[in-house]
Amino acid sequence: MSDGPTFQAEVYQNQYLPADATVVDAVITISASGGPATGAGGTAQSAAQVIMVDCSGSMASPSTKISEAKRATAAAIDTLRDGVAFAVIAGRADADMVYPPQAQLVPASPQTRAEAKAAVNRLIASGGTAIGRWLTLANVLFAGNPAQFKHAILLTDGRNQHETPAQLAEVLRACEGRFICDSRGVGADWSGSELRTVASALLGTADGLPDPAGLVDDFRSMTEAAMGKSLAEVSLRLWTPAGSTTRFVKQVFPHMEDLTARRTDVSPRIGEYPLGAWGSESRDYHVQVEVPAGAVGEERLAARASLVGGDQVLSQSLILAVWTDDTALSTKINPRVAHYTGQAELAQAIQEGLAAREAGDVETATSKLGRAVALAEASGHEDTAKLLARVVDVVDARTGTVRLKAKVAGVDAELANVRSVKTIRVKNG
Amino acid sequence: MKSCPQCTEPVGEGDRFCEACGRELSWGAAEPSRELAGASASDAQWVSSTGSAPSCSGCGGTDFGPEGYCDTCGQRRASGPDHTELDLGELAGVSDRGRRHHRNEDALALGRLPGTAMAVVCDGVSSSSRPDAASHAAVDAAMASLVEALRGGAQPAAAIGGATRAAQAAVALVAGPNPGGNPPSCTFVCAVSAVDAIVVGWVGDSRAYWLPAPAAQAEPQCLPAPAVRAEPHCLTIDDSLAGQLAAAGVEMPAVARGAASALVRWLGADATDTAPRLCTLTAPGPGRLLLCTDGLSRYATSPADLAELARPATTPLPAAEALVRHALDCGGADNVTAVLINFPPLEESR
Repeated sequence: MSDGPTFQAEVYQNQYLPADATVVDAVITISASGGPATGAGGTAQSAAQVIMVDCSGSMASPSTKISEAKRATAAAIDTLRDGVAFAVIAGRADADMVYPPQAQLVPASPQTRAEAKAAVNRLIASGGTAIGRWLTLANVLFAGNPAQFKHAILLTDGRNQHETPAQLAEVLRACEGRFICDSRGVGADWSGSELRTVASALLGTADGLPDPAGLVDDFRSMTEAAMGKSLAEVSLRLWTPAGSTTRFVKQVFPHMEDLTARRTDVSPRIGEYPLGAWGSESRDYHVQVEVPAGAVGEERLAARASLVGGDQVLSQSLILAVWTDDTALSTKINPRVAHYTGQAELAQAIQEGLAAREAGDVETATSKLGRAVALAEASGHEDTAKLLARVVDVVDARTGTVRLKAKVAGVDAELANVRSVKTIRVKNG
Repeated sequence: MKSCPQCTEPVGEGDRFCEACGRELSWGAAEPSRELAGASASDAQWVSSTGSAPSCSGCGGTDFGPEGYCDTCGQRRASGPDHTELDLGELAGVSDRGRRHHRNEDALALGRLPGTAMAVVCDGVSSSSRPDAASHAAVDAAMASLVEALRGGAQPAAAIGGATRAAQAAVALVAGPNPGGNPPSCTFVCAVSAVDAIVVGWVGDSRAYWLPAPAAQAEPQCLPAPAVRAEPHCLTIDDSLAGQLAAAGVEMPAVARGAASALVRWLGADATDTAPRLCTLTAPGPGRLLLCTDGLSRYATSPADLAELARPATTPLPAAEALVRHALDCGGADNVTAVLINFPPLEESR
């Protein structure tokens, strides 16, 4: 038996549907608690980590960017457990090995950590940015290693200039499922949507740090979180009845991630969605299934959602559909379903509003960002409300009456973009 | 794998109680096989319609997940089959899904002790959740309680009181820890037929009728007044406004009848008044007692109709079949159940 964490799943839904209704919504909260970071057999989960540090010329202006990046990388290296295979890559228009000198991973030990930090300290900022090349090298390094959990950190300060979006997309497809990657933007010139693309494809997180001073803590906590993952490959297995359609499967907390297109069919009625690695944490998923209409009084299982790690079922939840002619029951909307439906709309409004703003479409931008302000206000999402207030002048938050700011620091728009997918939970839920 | 007849959770072969809902699993012969316990092993025998439906009422599939939902279409597995025929010789019952409903929410249990016949019929309230689970839990709990009480020498009326309490407790248990606003509910009618009297107890609108044998109708009763009425009649009064008014001789206008037929008493976690109303028939002549759900009584214009339909059959099972067939032929708008008990009961059970 493994001493890993214990999983608990809770379903939030209104199972009552009016006659002829076919759409079933449910929010599933899955929480893992307790248990040290051990895998099957009680041994520590083997892990590997690659750190990609942007060493393009712009990292030297201001010079705090490269110096803080070096300190942050050193902090991440110090956080690695003994024996965790690791490497550091310098990202320019190409990708260069920083440590070890050969294209391979080495186990962390007092000696290799010291050597790695010395090599990182010698880094010089000069050259361009081609994120796809960096990820390709990381993918090669991981491919030669048998670790159960593979984690990468990508740090950049600029846009992906030396590659086309199509080239990056192709690399991401090659890396998908091979390792998990957290992406960070430092300074003022990175692109929020690029970071989200990488994080989304590689099941990691994305964020921006306008002030390089925050890098050290951030790198340390990302590495700590990675070392705390006790299950490398977890997926959501969804059974749905004959004649039904799975409209969507979304992770809705801690951030919004549409998983619908990532389905792998296990059997005609069972599909699996990859969720990446899992530590001691709690996540929410919103599932929407369309089932054939039922007669009043009928009760059907609309979906069975299981969390699966390896061949072990970690938790299971039932999503029901009960048809009733009691409108007092069928017209209620579950507060969590309503909340996350709002959070999804909020993320979309921010992204569309910022895109319209960038394209110079003032009318659409004002309307979308106004809607976002109103949604953030209504759901009590204060962080997002603050970010939006840097992009628009809020006249009335409740109604979403806003004016686009004439002058916006580029980084504020990128921050609003990269954090648009961050969600909050229902208050006093 | 076996599953709990109440909540349909899977249970082990040797389990005495369901791990999920706590129901006792070793009760009587409430097995899907419906074999009677050997007469030599026990002097009490009882059977019920409880038993996980063999196939899905939605798609006909036969594979069910551990939680009791169809593996193909997700439909919840019914607590009883669509059609049941139970025959203990001197008493028999038939239950059918009808033509409109997608599953049978009626349940019945039959039992006998030497010189005594017992029957329980329940009709799941279709506007409640899991009505079929409620009715099946009720008949099984009530019959187990009846057998135990009567064997211990209890008077029929007291045994029926205990059986009703047992049924109410079982139905409330089906609701689980969070009953919600619409917990599983059912009606209840129960009869104990002993050599000298028949006692009927009920909650709701499932009925009992006394159908005297034709010979008893022809010959004047030798009993002094108050004699048992010699024509077929209903023994129960529906627990609804319409039922109470009809019993008081008030004619309801047809338009008001629908709303007035709403149940005012039932068994369930949300029920407040669950004491059975009782009716005792002392030393009637030979005849048959009919217990039925409203799926049958709605198609009978008078008790005499029912007696007429049952008369050609010489034994209870074909008589019950004839009554159920009548309801189906009339449209079968609801689940329909009929139980017939010959009176007087046989002195010895075989």
